[in-house]
Amino acid sequence: MLTPPSARVASAAAAHAPEVIRLAGVAKTYHRDGVPVAALRSVDLRITRGEFVAIMGRSGSGKSTLLHILGLLDAEYEGRYELAGTCVSGQSADSLAPLRNRLIGFVFQSFHLLPQLSILENAALPALYARDRERDACFAAARTRLVEMGLGDRLEHRPGELSIGQRQRAAIARALVNAPSLLLADEPTGALDSRTAEEILEVLGDLHAAGATLVMVTHDPEVAAVASRLVQIRDGRAHDGVA
Amino acid sequence: MAGPTTAWLRLLLRFALDGLAGQRGRSGLTMLGMAIGTASVVSVVSIGLLGRAYVVSLIEGVGSNLVFAYGTGDGVNPEEVAFDDLDVFRARVPGVRAMAPVLSSTETMSIGSEPEVVNVLGATPEYAPVRNLVTVSGRFPTQAEERSAEKVCVVSRELARRLWGDRPPGSDEWLRVFGLRFHVVGVYREGVESAAAVQKSEAAGLTVIVPFSTFRNLSPVRTVDVVYFQAQSPQAVSGVVDAVREVLKSRHHALSSFKVESLQGYLVLAQRVSDAVTLGLIAIAAVSLLVGGIGIMNIMLVTVTERTRDIGIRLALGAGRRDILLQFLLEAGILSLAGGIAGVVIGAILPWYAGVLYGVDVPVSALSVVVAFGVSLAVGLFFGLVPARKAANMNIVDALGYE
Ligand SMILES: Nc1ncnc2c1ncn2[C@@H]1O[C@H](COP(=O)(O)OP(=O)(O)O)[C@@H](O)[C@H]1O
Ligand SMILES: [Mg+2]
Repeated sequence: MLTPPSARVASAAAAHAPEVIRLAGVAKTYHRDGVPVAALRSVDLRITRGEFVAIMGRSGSGKSTLLHILGLLDAEYEGRYELAGTCVSGQSADSLAPLRNRLIGFVFQSFHLLPQLSILENAALPALYARDRERDACFAAARTRLVEMGLGDRLEHRPGELSIGQRQRAAIARALVNAPSLLLADEPTGALDSRTAEEILEVLGDLHAAGATLVMVTHDPEVAAVASRLVQIRDGRAHDGVA
Repeated sequence: MAGPTTAWLRLLLRFALDGLAGQRGRSGLTMLGMAIGTASVVSVVSIGLLGRAYVVSLIEGVGSNLVFAYGTGDGVNPEEVAFDDLDVFRARVPGVRAMAPVLSSTETMSIGSEPEVVNVLGATPEYAPVRNLVTVSGRFPTQAEERSAEKVCVVSRELARRLWGDRPPGSDEWLRVFGLRFHVVGVYREGVESAAAVQKSEAAGLTVIVPFSTFRNLSPVRTVDVVYFQAQSPQAVSGVVDAVREVLKSRHHALSSFKVESLQGYLVLAQRVSDAVTLGLIAIAAVSLLVGGIGIMNIMLVTVTERTRDIGIRLALGAGRRDILLQFLLEAGILSLAGGIAGVVIGAILPWYAGVLYGVDVPVSALSVVVAFGVSLAVGLFFGLVPARKAANMNIVDALGYE
């Protein structure tokens, strides 16, 4: 398995920082009506702590597929995946759930907030499911994150009562509530107008500046520009580019 | 540690209640289905118990804990119960609350223009309570009248009707029995009308009852027609039967001339039959409970499908499959239990309250209430399992709507 030269350089440069992600030969084939569709052929990828990686590629190149694998949403793939030093490939769904809960925060294109809950309850969900804190502590953590996102006066509102920019910030607060090792975003600005998108990118940039590890899928080069590193998905493989 | 687990259950309960609150109308209708099922089971048990109590009352109406002994008049050398036997019964049969020997003959009376055959019975005052006879008017002969062998009598309601129509007899009515004038002191009927259907009753039909001593003095009859014993308790009945047999055997040539019987056999049979009928009814009612359970499964399957994205989001945020499974099981359990509570109210409390209002004793079996609760909860959990597993085993990426 050959590693592209640029990737080797990048990982060598960050060799002193601990690895959050290490993928080796990850491949994923979908079957549509019995016909195999190779979404990822062989992805080798290392991401170290504090990196902000933008994943780009043509539509249908496998960006989302990769992000789902990284986020432990999809456990059916070949190859090896180490997350924060633990090998997670081949683990059962039951053992992946707590890892997903603690180590990973998701930001989705369409926010995926639960409409029947207040944003405070939404943001507290990952902490509640973690079951390692009192209920009050979960809500306190959620409140802190929401206040940081500038939503301190909207805590009891339902998602439907917020602007879309506020919704995405609530979703980011929810992703951060368990202090994850990795923040994953799939086209986080895809559903936003350009002003709101800028606002969200600023939030992500601030998180990066504060030391968070981010992986963001986008097809927009302007969005990718805020990242510290660019990875292109082409022919089912990851190619390092320049950010 | 119980703390974290209860906190977890409380969390999932909250999610379950939130879920149900989001679809009130549908939840209400599903509960109604379970309520009908539970109500049918509970009320069917009540109906069964009511029927059982009725049949038992018919049999016990002949006289509770009753044992009776009589000569059959069959066999090579037929024998009858003798007067002397009575004192021996009194001395040697334990567990008896009251004993009532009956003498019997017939008298032809002219009622209107027709001559009619009327039963004449001689019985002690114990006879009325032992055989569960009720006064329609007047009274039964007293112990004093028994001791002094007064010429008083009570007549059956049928005979009273034939003699005096619907108007009750005045205080100055007289009947000619054994060629002498007897003062009519009362009219009686049997406590349970259909007692005669269980056992041919000597007190049924056109009957006059006079004091035992009076009968004995005035009639040539020298044998006892039948002796009734009221045992002190249902448990004492078989002991009384055995002791009476023992006495008869010791004082007569052959026990084969006599029959010593109790109503326990009929009672057990009647109880078995009504229990079997009740069981059959419960089986039918259980079908409606089953239909309610299928309703829950159906509604929960729809719910799970509708909330696919919700489930996907929860799983993506790190909910375990157990969290999702239990949340939906709880939803199904709440639906069925709430339906079960409503069903118990409809099926038990309403009939019970109606019974209180109308002064009828409607039996409500606590056991059936508990069982109906348990079964409705079990049905809910059982039928909730399929949808809950469907929810828990969702493909997360697909559930999120495949971005
Ligand atoms: N659930 C699926 N079933 C079948 N094919 C799929 C499925 N998801 C993705 N694919 C296919 O896999 C390829 C990669 O998809 P995806 O990762 O969504 O691409 P991207 O996010 O880069 O647009 C595409 O050809 C897509 O059609
Ligand atoms: Mg995509």
